Amino acid sequence: MNVVLAIGRRILSVIVTLLGVSVIIFVVLRLLPGNAVSASMGVSEGLLTHAQVAALDRYYGVGQPAVQQYFSWLHAILTGNLGVSLSLQKTVSYLVGLDLPVTIELAFFAMVLGIVIGVGFGMWSALHPGKWQDNVGQAVSVVGLAIPSFILGTVLVVYMSSKFHYFPSSSSFVGFFTNPWLNFQQIIFPAFVLSLGIAAAILRTTRGAVLEVSGLNFARTALGKGVSRRAFIWRHLFLNSLTAVVTMSGIQLGYLLGGTVIIEQIFILPGMGNLLITAIHNQDYPLVQSVTLIFAAGFVIVNMFVDLLYSLIDPRTRNR
Amino acid sequence: MSVSVTTATSAPGAPEDVVGHRGWFGALWRSRNGRIGVIIVGIVLVAGLLGIWGITPYGPDAQDPSMVLKGISLSHPMGTDQFGRDVFSGTLQGLGVSLEIAFLSVLIAGVIGTIGGIIAGFLGEWTSAVIMRMTDMMFAIPTVLFALAIVTALGPGIVDSSIAIGVGWIPIFVRVVRSPVLALRESDFVRAGRVLGFSRLRLLWRHILPNVAGVVAVQTSLALAWAIVAEAGLSFLGLGPPPPTQSLGDMVNNSSSLASIAWWTLVGPSLAIVIAVIGFNLLGDGLRDASDPRTRTR
Repeated sequence: MNVVLAIGRRILSVIVTLLGVSVIIFVVLRLLPGNAVSASMGVSEGLLTHAQVAALDRYYGVGQPAVQQYFSWLHAILTGNLGVSLSLQKTVSYLVGLDLPVTIELAFFAMVLGIVIGVGFGMWSALHPGKWQDNVGQAVSVVGLAIPSFILGTVLVVYMSSKFHYFPSSSSFVGFFTNPWLNFQQIIFPAFVLSLGIAAAILRTTRGAVLEVSGLNFARTALGKGVSRRAFIWRHLFLNSLTAVVTMSGIQLGYLLGGTVIIEQIFILPGMGNLLITAIHNQDYPLVQSVTLIFAAGFVIVNMFVDLLYSLIDPRTRNR
Repeated sequence: MSVSVTTATSAPGAPEDVVGHRGWFGALWRSRNGRIGVIIVGIVLVAGLLGIWGITPYGPDAQDPSMVLKGISLSHPMGTDQFGRDVFSGTLQGLGVSLEIAFLSVLIAGVIGTIGGIIAGFLGEWTSAVIMRMTDMMFAIPTVLFALAIVTALGPGIVDSSIAIGVGWIPIFVRVVRSPVLALRESDFVRAGRVLGFSRLRLLWRHILPNVAGVVAVQTSLALAWAIVAEAGLSFLGLGPPPPTQSLGDMVNNSSSLASIAWWTLVGPSLAIVIAVIGFNLLGDGLRDASDPRTRTR
């Protein structure tokens, strides 16, 4: 009962946050100058009669008062079509339905790689403080933090395609269920590039947390009573550092989602980031606002699960 | 441009007895990260200023048809591009543009965020709750996406990019500043000041603000590192300041198609970004060490 109540409160808070986010996004985009309807019509605009322009404006909701526009957007979100794109003349939900799986797959692989690399090197560093292994870990974290993903991505694409004539993204993107092996080749390189930045942050957190835990009394006791090294590392050190690692991973998801936008451009992946950039160039604000809101929703909802994970990982937080 | 630097230099940070006579700079210099950071940032700032003032070996737009796509040489330390332009000169100029935008955006984020954080920490529950709730909501939008949304609305340009990048960083300054203010509000010297009848403004200006200058300086340095990356990212996507203004991100983007035959065109601007980011990160680490005596031994 208590658990249900806690989860219910979290969900409510997520909904309130996302409503606020939608207001912020809407207010920011309302600064947009120009008329996107005529912009999307391009040259042919001059051929339209005034009545036609007015009808189009009415259809797309241009010229309504801001508050009314906000609520019609909110209505579109709640009913599920997410608004109508001005430049592509499709419902946003249709466009997102095509592109979201690509971004989710990319983000998922990047997150998994980031956690594996980060936790791996972080543990390795922390178990050999001050030794060469530690220096290797530090080097990985400096490289991951200092080299922006778009530089790494560009270098990788140039190097692979010029030296090995290998660029899986040059053929158009295929879904996982169509051709899993080609799909994997197309996703794994951008995912790796994206993962290094988060790996660096997770590495630092893991190293710090493990070093802190290994200095505590229970760790010394465990070693003293002769727990095997393997059990000591994984049961005593790793499990007790897990909360910090999970928190950091949740926070890093924000950077990761932002990073997908640039990486999808470099590796020519037809994901949400690609959709967003197209929308921005076309000043297609119904599309921009819905895509941004979906990114924010993904971030907030995953972090809600992260919060709920705490009680699974760390029994001490259950009674709070 | 100089404002963020002065914020950093005016950080009193550590108490007098720890820092001794050498002051904040001595404490910063004593931390290894801080020392390296100061040197790198110094070099980066000088290089950027040379770019801004146009003191470069060649004009950044000076084309030389006889020197197209030449590799690294004494006269062209970073080679030349497809128009025979000197990559080193272009990098200096691009660095100047990147630094301008980075400093302007951090100035926006730092001033608004610090004021917001002080208000949220010092004023009543209700104001605080409203501000913190708003920062939570802003936090929910990944900073790069926030910047993209603002660029959509404002269009490209140096000031527009700065606003776009700066706004997303405001909530981080709010959070970082608020927690020490909460502690300071209940500290003895602030209470004493209140009993003595000091006005709120005086308490904030003379007693609270100097004591959060340390955390603000640390955050400023880290934010600068992030802003350089964010600006380069925006320009890379073609959403930075319009031509002829070239930032480092534009240069990376332009050279990506050339890099397979002329790798040096990619190396120059990329190296400038990476070095600047490492420098500001190390400086931030050093400032943190210097302003917090507890971490200095690590």
